[in-house]
Amino acid sequence: MTNGITSFLQELSLSNQWLVLLPEISLALLSLVLLGFDLFGKASRQAVLDEFKFRISLMGQLAILALLIIGRESFNQSGSFLFGGLVEQSDQTFLMRCFFILGSIFVTVLASRFLSKANLPKAEYYHLCLLACAGFMLLVQSAQFVLFFVSLELVTIAFYILVAFNRTNALSLEAGLKYLTLGALSSAFLLFGIVLLYGISGNPNLEGYTSLGFQFSQLQEFIHLNADNTIVRVGALMVIAGICFKLGAFPFQIWIPDVYQGAPTPTTAFLATSSKAAGVFVLIQLLQGPFLALSEFLIPILSIICTITILYGNIAASGQSNVKRLLGLSGISHAGYLLMGIIASFLIPESFVAVFFYLCLYLLSSFLVFGLLIQISQEEEGQLEIGAFRGLYSKNAFLGTMGIIGLGSLAGIPPLGGFIGKLLLLNVAFQAELYWLIGVALVGIVISIYYYFGWIRAMLTEQESEEKAIAISFEDRIIYGFIIALIVLLGLIPGILISIIQ
Amino acid sequence: MTIGINEFIFSATLLFLIGFMGVVFRRNTLVVYMSLELMLNAVNLALVAFSRYNQTMDGAIFVFFIMTVAAAEVAVGLAIIVMLFRKRQTISLSELNELKG
Repeated sequence: MTNGITSFLQELSLSNQWLVLLPEISLALLSLVLLGFDLFGKASRQAVLDEFKFRISLMGQLAILALLIIGRESFNQSGSFLFGGLVEQSDQTFLMRCFFILGSIFVTVLASRFLSKANLPKAEYYHLCLLACAGFMLLVQSAQFVLFFVSLELVTIAFYILVAFNRTNALSLEAGLKYLTLGALSSAFLLFGIVLLYGISGNPNLEGYTSLGFQFSQLQEFIHLNADNTIVRVGALMVIAGICFKLGAFPFQIWIPDVYQGAPTPTTAFLATSSKAAGVFVLIQLLQGPFLALSEFLIPILSIICTITILYGNIAASGQSNVKRLLGLSGISHAGYLLMGIIASFLIPESFVAVFFYLCLYLLSSFLVFGLLIQISQEEEGQLEIGAFRGLYSKNAFLGTMGIIGLGSLAGIPPLGGFIGKLLLLNVAFQAELYWLIGVALVGIVISIYYYFGWIRAMLTEQESEEKAIAISFEDRIIYGFIIALIVLLGLIPGILISIIQ
Repeated sequence: MTIGINEFIFSATLLFLIGFMGVVFRRNTLVVYMSLELMLNAVNLALVAFSRYNQTMDGAIFVFFIMTVAAAEVAVGLAIIVMLFRKRQTISLSELNELKG
């Protein structure tokens, strides 16, 4: 007996290959280094030090991204048994890990511009951003509910602080409180679902019961045998509800406009891109893993959620003049389009390509739009209205182009990358014969063109005023120019990214 | 009469629902927080009961993770509440409605 346990533990410890998590570990170490700078830096040289911290964070993340891509064979061991089955890697999780580092690089760039404007502490922001990124990367690789929950909470708690980061601003604090209350509520739902699944799957009276009820692969086998069990269905629904909160899908979308408006702009960008992407990917993984056998039960429910999400997001956004609320509400509708791809993934496994392509383009376009917000915004960034963008193109042609390309790609105008993303999603939905959802999505896209174009029109209208032209630094021009070129390029030759994904 | 798994799960579900009602209907932020804790503790109770009934340790160990995470969550939450109170002199959810549109 003792021998059995010892050999079992030995086998487990052999599967602890820390090397495969080196990128995540380096991110965490980098975040600690950044905090260290604050301890030893002199207050008199604050400006130099802040710039230095930004460089360190940016270079570190770029180096880790390069490391991850170059050392792909050692950091992405698909199919091997890692950490006693806690971690499971595949080509899809590898892509998502790269995506999250890229997202966190973008947020770091936005944050450096925003924080010096708003005169907020820097090191803590970069620190939390890196930790959230590491949490996202662990989340997508987890193959067991304990690691899943802990890494999800690592992300969520970092986000609570990031949302309330502007602590002298009542709006930011209020947004933080709302996000915290609803986030904790959704975690409780998620947990109760996990517990029900764990409890029922270990029940010795049921066929195919397992002692490893948290393990995705064991759960999949159990649910396959007991797909009609009510507790299994309730548990699965509660887990999905908890993830829908991250995604911003109906009925957990109420927090989005308030939190997006109150949070500091880089945090809003982080919430809109990485957080949503994590929700999407986790949902795909759960639906193709443990909940696969429940597809007949879940597809109608998810279709209803998807329909309401698309319509709610678009209709609410069309009457909105506050830009951050507008981006939040239109983000809900983007979550709806992505849900369509997720439902299609039940029937067509290749729909991951379409979803990932859409997420990448959404990341790039959002980066442009939020970058523009940071350039434009003055004191009260939460109150920025569409009117503030009037005549932007004549004031600064570069910023105008940036806004038009970013918004155009979000709306899905033909030569831009966002169009291809929408086309791919509609294509997989067509293959999966989800005709009703395609109709709803088309209606949604038409409504979205209306409000995105209202914004673009405001930028293009000429306005005679004495307001001085808005300056943009040379470095920013290079970064944003590169992203603009990328969006146009991916719209013209989408094959580059698609072949990488495949 | 022996108390079995059903009684435990029933009371855990009841606690969870009471907590949920508290989060939805109470207006004082601190009471909302207590209700959230109640929901998490309902989860813990169910986990321990299932863990005992199913004869596996995983559930009992998961409880420690949940307690740690809940403690971290509350630490951040209380800090936000204190800052907000200094700023607005209220923590009633019905008065915290500056974000609207």
